[in-house]
Amino acid sequence: MKALLTALAMLMATAHVVVAHHSFAAEYDDQKPLKITGTLTKVDWMNPHIWYYVDVKNPDGTVTTWAISGGAPGQLMRRGITKDLLVVGSTVNVEGFKAKDGSNNGFGQRVTYQDGRNVFTATDPAGRAPQR
Amino acid sequence: MTRISSKWLLLALVSICPCGLSIVTALNAQQGPASPAGIPRTADGKPDFTGTYQWPTYLPGDERGRSSATVFDRKRFAPLKPGGDTFLEPRTGDPRHDEPRDFCMPAGFPGGMLSANAMQFFQTKNHLVMVHEFQRMSRVIPLDGRAHRKGLEPMFYGDPVGRWEGDTLVIETVNFKRWGLDDYYYTNPKEYRMHSDAMRTIERLRWKSPTAMSYALTIDDPKVFTAPWTQEFEILAKPEWDKDGLFEYVCEENNRCPGGKCGAEK
Repeated sequence: MKALLTALAMLMATAHVVVAHHSFAAEYDDQKPLKITGTLTKVDWMNPHIWYYVDVKNPDGTVTTWAISGGAPGQLMRRGITKDLLVVGSTVNVEGFKAKDGSNNGFGQRVTYQDGRNVFTATDPAGRAPQR
Repeated sequence: MTRISSKWLLLALVSICPCGLSIVTALNAQQGPASPAGIPRTADGKPDFTGTYQWPTYLPGDERGRSSATVFDRKRFAPLKPGGDTFLEPRTGDPRHDEPRDFCMPAGFPGGMLSANAMQFFQTKNHLVMVHEFQRMSRVIPLDGRAHRKGLEPMFYGDPVGRWEGDTLVIETVNFKRWGLDDYYYTNPKEYRMHSDAMRTIERLRWKSPTAMSYALTIDDPKVFTAPWTQEFEILAKPEWDKDGLFEYVCEENNRCPGGKCGAEK
């Protein structure tokens, strides 16, 4: 809970800042914002960046799986953001940017639970995305 | 000879010879600034840099980059020499050229050193080992007075040797491969900063308080710049990070979208 509150505090202090990085530029498009709501199905807490997966229900009843990248595990953990803050099975809103290649991949800056709690999954408290 | 006896010898020299003062001045310049009290020292009296640290960060007033890494302030650069505009090589749109780290290629030095991750240093009488969490960069720096190695191919991290100038550790590194200087994209997304294979770096590391080091980094790249130039950074001790240590960083583990082409999930 302490870590979650820390993450929330950092998010509230810096949520307006959106700055990306070189690896981000190679993979994602900051002109294509991503905003999805769905079920968090899986978390890969691995280098070079974490990935988490969100199933989004479409109006026609089908499901689209979005793969979302975040910061490096070490950078996140040193800020108190740990894997268990991303709770598989939860309904979450994810905000970030879409992949350049048009696939269902994106870069996630924040995950918001339905009760309003946030987990900031980008790299640093200034809202900047990770390096490669 | 102890420090005290050296001091008395110099005082005696000044008193008997007018040239003594200039000798003292020259010695002081070579020995660098005096250290504050309370800095960590090894058993043989050298400043001890063993510990866990934040990456080098900006001093007040320096231009900041827009990524999480520290970048050089352009106002520190010496003028480019004719032909030196290869330093500002345009990006081509090919991610293998524009951002090789996206394919898990090395950051190199000094770019890797300035990445926004923790560092851990280990010092012995004859070596300083710098381990950086980003890409697990490891620099083994001999302090035993040896010369640079000969006959090596150019390298991403170069060939460092260290020496003491008083309480300042001076690390000179040569034999670099032409590579990106720093993490510059968000300062100008259309330009790289490519140092040449003639680059020589000089790092000056000293404690400026018991918890903060001055880290002055000189770039001497005669193919690019008309003169060497230096930017000073600060390295803060982070003993509170010791309990976790450095985290693993294996870029190849799950690099899903190299060059913007995303592969399958793990």
